[in-house]
Amino acid sequence: MKPEKSNKYLIAALLLGLAFHGSSIFFTLETTYDALIHLFFADHYANSWFEPWNYEWYTGFTVQSYPPLVHQSIGLLSYVGGLKFGMFSVALIAIVLFITGSYRFSLLITGNRTVAGYASVLAVFSSSFVETLHIFGQLPSIVGVSVLMHALPEIYLWIKTGKKWYLATCLSLISVTVTSHHVTPIFGMVFFIFPLIGMVIMDVSREQVNSNREVTFRVFLNSFFKLFKRIVIFGGCSLVLIIGCILPYWINSKANPITQVPIPHGSRDNFLEITSSGLVFFLIPWGVLLVLLPYIFYRYYSKRYIFFGLSITILTILGTGGTTPIPLKVLGETAFNILTLDRFTLWASIMSIPLMGEFAYRFVEGDLKTLIQNKLGAIYHRIIGGILTGLFVFMVVFTMSLNYFRPSQPQKIKMLPIVNFLNQDDHDKWRFLTLGFGDQMAWLSAQTNAMTVDGNYHSARRLPELTTRPIERLENSKFKGVAGIGSLQQFLTTPEKYNLKYIFSNDKFYDPILFFCGWQRLRQLENGIMVWERLNIPPVSSILPKEDVAKWLKLHWGIMPFLTVLIAFILNIQMLWVNMLKTRIKPPTDFLKFHITYSKFNRNVLRLTHIWSVFLASVVFYGIYLFYLKNDSQRSPENAIITYYDALDFKEFEKAHSLINPNSNLPIAQYMLEISVTDGLLSSYAKMDAISTEIKLHNDSTATAKVYTNWITPLEKIAKTDYKSLTKIKGKWYLQSDELDNDLPPDQLYSNNVTKYYNQGRRRITTEQTHHEDILKQPVLEVITAKLVKYDGSYAIIGEIQNIDNVPADVILKGTLYNDNNKQLATYNAKYHVKHKLMPKETSSFRINFEGIAWSKTQDSIPDTFNPDEFTPVEFNEQPTKFNLQVAGNVAGSDLYKSVVLSDLNITPNQITGNLFNSGIQEITIPQLLITYYDENKSMLWVDHLFVKEGVRQERKQNFSYSILNEGIVKTINSSMENIFVNGLPNDDISNKIVPNRIFNHISNELQPIKHPNFSFIRIEINTYIASPF
Amino acid sequence: MNFQFIHILLLCIASAIFSEAQQNSSIKLLTTNTSFNVGNSIVLKFSTGNNSQPLLYCSNSYGSTIITSTLQNDTLKFKIPENITKKIGIVNWKLLSEPDHISGHFTITPKAQVATMETYIGPPSIEAGGKDYSMLVVIPTDNLDNPVPTNTLVNIKHQFLNTEESNNVFTKNLIAYRKIYSQEKDGRFLVSSESLGTNSKEFTLNALPSIPSNFTISVNRPHNYADGNQITTFTTSVIKDEHSNIVSDGTFVNFFITNNKGNILKSSGLTIGGVATAKIIHPDYGDTWRIKAYVEGMAESNSISVSYQQIIDDFTVTFTNKNRNINIGPLQSFMKQMIPDGMQVKLQIYHKNKLIETYIKTTFNGYVAFSLKPEIFKNGQYNFTFETAGIVKEFKNTTLW
Repeated sequence: MKPEKSNKYLIAALLLGLAFHGSSIFFTLETTYDALIHLFFADHYANSWFEPWNYEWYTGFTVQSYPPLVHQSIGLLSYVGGLKFGMFSVALIAIVLFITGSYRFSLLITGNRTVAGYASVLAVFSSSFVETLHIFGQLPSIVGVSVLMHALPEIYLWIKTGKKWYLATCLSLISVTVTSHHVTPIFGMVFFIFPLIGMVIMDVSREQVNSNREVTFRVFLNSFFKLFKRIVIFGGCSLVLIIGCILPYWINSKANPITQVPIPHGSRDNFLEITSSGLVFFLIPWGVLLVLLPYIFYRYYSKRYIFFGLSITILTILGTGGTTPIPLKVLGETAFNILTLDRFTLWASIMSIPLMGEFAYRFVEGDLKTLIQNKLGAIYHRIIGGILTGLFVFMVVFTMSLNYFRPSQPQKIKMLPIVNFLNQDDHDKWRFLTLGFGDQMAWLSAQTNAMTVDGNYHSARRLPELTTRPIERLENSKFKGVAGIGSLQQFLTTPEKYNLKYIFSNDKFYDPILFFCGWQRLRQLENGIMVWERLNIPPVSSILPKEDVAKWLKLHWGIMPFLTVLIAFILNIQMLWVNMLKTRIKPPTDFLKFHITYSKFNRNVLRLTHIWSVFLASVVFYGIYLFYLKNDSQRSPENAIITYYDALDFKEFEKAHSLINPNSNLPIAQYMLEISVTDGLLSSYAKMDAISTEIKLHNDSTATAKVYTNWITPLEKIAKTDYKSLTKIKGKWYLQSDELDNDLPPDQLYSNNVTKYYNQGRRRITTEQTHHEDILKQPVLEVITAKLVKYDGSYAIIGEIQNIDNVPADVILKGTLYNDNNKQLATYNAKYHVKHKLMPKETSSFRINFEGIAWSKTQDSIPDTFNPDEFTPVEFNEQPTKFNLQVAGNVAGSDLYKSVVLSDLNITPNQITGNLFNSGIQEITIPQLLITYYDENKSMLWVDHLFVKEGVRQERKQNFSYSILNEGIVKTINSSMENIFVNGLPNDDISNKIVPNRIFNHISNELQPIKHPNFSFIRIEINTYIASPF
Repeated sequence: MNFQFIHILLLCIASAIFSEAQQNSSIKLLTTNTSFNVGNSIVLKFSTGNNSQPLLYCSNSYGSTIITSTLQNDTLKFKIPENITKKIGIVNWKLLSEPDHISGHFTITPKAQVATMETYIGPPSIEAGGKDYSMLVVIPTDNLDNPVPTNTLVNIKHQFLNTEESNNVFTKNLIAYRKIYSQEKDGRFLVSSESLGTNSKEFTLNALPSIPSNFTISVNRPHNYADGNQITTFTTSVIKDEHSNIVSDGTFVNFFITNNKGNILKSSGLTIGGVATAKIIHPDYGDTWRIKAYVEGMAESNSISVSYQQIIDDFTVTFTNKNRNINIGPLQSFMKQMIPDGMQVKLQIYHKNKLIETYIKTTFNGYVAFSLKPEIFKNGQYNFTFETAGIVKEFKNTTLW
């Protein structure tokens, strides 16, 4: 007997795979969803191998919440060439493991080395693998499933032959799988190993009889009992390993059960409704396999593979997510909402690899070729071959370039300036937050020691503010609707709770909310990232709490993963050696005896495949047709309007202009000018949420449309109704251009004198603490009035504050409520209802709301619609009767623009309209009105606010309209000024010292009377946000 | 009686025990000095009868240590380490020899010599007027970083405007301090101190103006017409505090404007050199404004009144093209010039006494044009209301055809 020859196909597959994936990972892996998270974990291990507690994310979490092998491997390799070197090396290893694993799995299933070779070549380009690696970056999952595929032949051999050696090898490989990915072996047990055991029993049964036909259920049962002991031994041992190898993980899961509310995931969507999810989680992973489905099912439902047939059926159905109700019913509510269902499709596609190889073999050089050529002719065979390979190549190219067409991540951010910033001047003594970084935030965390309140592994988080929200990260909260911004604004309003001082913003969408929550811009870094800072935040304490675990668990976690690899390597190296280098003659393994002869391809299957393909093709073409109808922008007035608004939303002005009536002779330059001068909350910070139109056709070429749009802005939800008229010209609908505001300011060039401030910070460059004499005195503020009131069911502290110092002040107000027994009930900071920056002697009304952690009690009633202004009042079990107000002033040098004028006012019983006039030299992006309500005695009752949707340009007016509050009694609960402190000192003392002769109710003659059953007067104050101050 | 007895008894027992301890001791302290100058080397000597060399436990306010001895001619010598002899204060010691625990203490006294001046001043800014103060704290220290002896003279000096002042204070409880009161004028104090020939560095103390007092306002405008375009400027007099210091730059002054309708408009200004200016656009209809400025809770201005003259008394509306093209204008300003672009014109269209549409447009070159599409406004009778510059014109039962 001669040593068997090397499998040329496998070698080709390996070379191809390494060349193709190995070179492309450098362009794809860093922009995938998960790769950088694994990099962050790897960085953790590289720095503290045996200490599972990580302080950097989520105010601390344990890395024992994810199997460590891949992370530790990257960490270990990072000692050689850095973290990214480690990541790419591990990715290369994963590629090799996957290809060889596919080969071995295919060999096991088909028993034919050529077919397995075909399968391994096709596996290289299988679109599910390409997607998992290049789009998702799920390295642990790939390693897990690859090693599992390596384990399958060993399991087969153990159960078939009962040789203890095979038991050892298969268990060793199972342990490696477990330590790299926990879900893979658990579900792999069900979906891969159980069917495999079934197959072994079938094979054993087959050996006892003469033909397949004779394998009856009885024979099968007999074989089962014969093999029962081996199966039980294997099952028991692997169960022990699955638990034992990552024991700390299980202990941690028990100790810290995942309290996270379900986070929406595209794989649970209805793929027919949300086609983008259907594309990513169904079409791409299945790819060309969709065409082969009849063949795959036909083969897997043959007697030998019957259990694989059942398995792949379940996987296919579970993989359809929310398209059918079956996955929800099968998995149950909890599992359905925790699992990402795309993994089922991934496993189904991996399970199909051997049969894809088989089909390809039969099509290229086997009986299928003969059948087609005989029945339909050689040319048809060639054409079909061309179409199939074309489709196959197209899917690969399409998947690889998906990120190019639809970037899942923001542009790559240079992290060095941020890392440098954090290292400077002790900035890393506070926590930071990134906004709009995407998964790159993990890469930033890996590079710095500074801590963030956010994180990118949501299963591990513990802060109730986060676990009660269905959001992945705070960082991308704008995509998560109400829950996202609602969660973010709580962090922004009470940042001192988390020692959060710096925010790196890569998305100007968040600027207004940062500003109105009291943050200020520091500077723009070289990479274009804006740094925001909040004053008066204490640094992170040097001793932080952690949940410690026993030392043996730490050692277990640090040693076990590599130990499993080492053992698996030692046990399997011999097999590798023999298999690869063909050093000695090896009898053919057992499963090779069960290959079928490819002599007669089932005609019906061919027929069915044809019908199925025609069906698929028609579905595809119908889809494309629908897509065309929806996207042909000028087919109907609705399309024209929706396209126009979409274009405006995405700032595609050229496209928007192309929809403007060409007869209006509006050149694009003029159109752009008109668009570009409008600024404000709506035009610069809004994202369109919903649009609906009411079209009124006047004749076939004229229509008017009432356009209802809902816009998400960081501050509030805006509903808008526009009226548009449309005209049909040459079969295409066009919009009439809007009228322009012709307002012409009186001055061409004008000047404005302003006082500007500059805070030197440290005057001497030193690494020591700031010099005593360089520390500025905190500006002195005075609380003029403050009271605890109840209105509309919620409690609030309202009042008025004045900066009585000679320097501008940044104001932070923190209110605490107590009951009669002086028990603290709630504490919160002033958010939108205060001017956070006060010039000397300037006053501001304020209101402190007491927000609870939104939806913490009402998990099921999270509204689906987005409302950033959503407010969850804190639930009080006891009646608040007293309050404490802590005011802190810090010298402010920016955002001190005050040149805004209330230039006209009209009052009707329930509406106030008026004009704001910008008298200064900077453009006001978002004007905010603070409206204070007074009773008939001119005593304060309530404070309300209004964000004006449009900005105000220099020397121009902007109208606003404010709805007066509905009827409702404001109950004053406590108006004692006793417990009010400014910069830690009693308010009264300060007041008596600096303004001993204060004129109280000084401007009571200047309050605006209104007609309202509950309120008699109002006062309007104006606060401004300037997007680009100079 | 009983108490006294017990007291005496206890005393006897105690003295007996102590005297016993004293007598049993074979080691005796030879050093008699209990006060040493800081920085000098200190050796404690004991006479001993045997050759045992017990350890000496030694403790001062910085910590404790154990010292070994050298034995020479029946004399135990303990050299106190430098880190103890360099710090002033009481040093307690105890000889760790069984059975006799001899203990005692000595004092290390400071040097009357100043090497550095540790100085703090706070707050760094105070209010002018003589009531507010800042405090300078000086800790003169010797070259070993020990505070100097009590009652060391410290000379605290400060300069303000034309005056330079020097005051003698004495250290007490290790520090010397002095409150520096502001004066009526605002300005900058420069403060320093001196002790035993050593001078501190310079410190800055800013005296800032105190709260403003009442002021007056004036108005300045290009013309007195209500053209809705020009800008009126309000200016305050130089705002000063009660001691005639000009208030700090950036002081916020609120201007409240009450118009004829009784509505309250508002502008604001920040002072520069005590003068705050606030701007407001002219109204587009004739109006009289009463203006008063406030620094809230502290000071206010006089109240002034400003009138704006109506510029448009009437305007022409022309209907053409089956009444569907409506042209308004020319809208002319006070010299019959075309009104500056941007004057608002509001058109409200009523059909069967129901408001069906409102259009707001702004003038361009003195005119505004509306065009009513037949597809939207079917043929029929309509009422139109035009409003601009506070004037309303109605056209009833106009037919569109």
